[in-house]
Amino acid sequence: MAVKIHIHTTHRQYTNGLEVVEVMGNTVGDCLSHLVQQFPAIEKALFIKKDKLHNNVEIYLNHTTAYPNELMKPVKEGDEIHLVVMLAGG
Amino acid sequence: MLTPNERERYDRQIMIQDIGVEGQEKLKRSRVLVAGAGGLGSPIAFYLTAAGIGTIRLIDHDQVTLSNLNRQILHWEQDIGRKKTDSAATKLSHLNSGVTLEAIAETITEENVSELVRGCDVIVDAMDNLPTRYVLNRCAVEKKIPFFHGAVSGFEGRVMTILPGKTACLRCMYRGPFPQGKFPVIGVAPALVGVIQATEVIKYLVGIGKLLTNRLLIYDGLELTFTELTIHKNPDCDHCGSGVTTESQRAQR
Repeated sequence: MAVKIHIHTTHRQYTNGLEVVEVMGNTVGDCLSHLVQQFPAIEKALFIKKDKLHNNVEIYLNHTTAYPNELMKPVKEGDEIHLVVMLAGG
Repeated sequence: MLTPNERERYDRQIMIQDIGVEGQEKLKRSRVLVAGAGGLGSPIAFYLTAAGIGTIRLIDHDQVTLSNLNRQILHWEQDIGRKKTDSAATKLSHLNSGVTLEAIAETITEENVSELVRGCDVIVDAMDNLPTRYVLNRCAVEKKIPFFHGAVSGFEGRVMTILPGKTACLRCMYRGPFPQGKFPVIGVAPALVGVIQATEVIKYLVGIGKLLTNRLLIYDGLELTFTELTIHKNPDCDHCGSGVTTESQRAQR
């Protein structure tokens, strides 16, 4: 399935400045794997280890939270994934 | 009842059909807790004071330092070294002497939060760290006090309104701890986020508009975009989930 991933501002340094990356996959996890294939440097920013996202990384599928079990969520053609980072400042 | 002075001061917002005299009186009767007098707390406190909230309880344990002044507009050069609560009290009282300000220079902890929020109608998140945000969130959920979340970093911000028992809470999105430290920020980011939080508070207290409940608003100041994301109540949330026993439930056993 062709899916668009919206890259968080702080991660665009790893995607050559691209705000949106097109990927293929059947699940959110597949899509993120394809993103990492295209831009390997983003892996450390998203994952603490294989299949384990950093605790401050949030995944939204079609503008709706995909938490919990984000990586297993199925995706369909035309879906959009937003990568968001939890903020703590004030 | 509004005094003649208040009718004049708040004339322009009383003219707003959704507010009117009745709405202004609701604001006057309200007590709002603003947790933090920093980057977020500054615009929140300023605009709630200007709007005529009856009582504002402002809590912050810090002293003013030079590096605060790029964003914490409640505090000025002359305030460096002063308690932020003292600095804030001076400015807010000069803006609107009709607002009762309860300035408390304390650190918010699990042990004192219950007492600190006593009597408040709403709690506004103007914190600079997640652990204390979760202390406030848990307390808000237990006591069913609406909680207005905001956070910033760099040019980015996020806002969400929490109505305990009805909507997702801040903890519903919790995945686990992560390292935090000094965060980058420019004043215009908390300025915008704080004003959105203050807008939500006013709307809630007056009973108008559509709140950011189950809606996470992400602001990107560099791209100048707003993105709205839907949040769901998490049944396994350890603050508001179905398995959680509240303080009052424990007391009844």
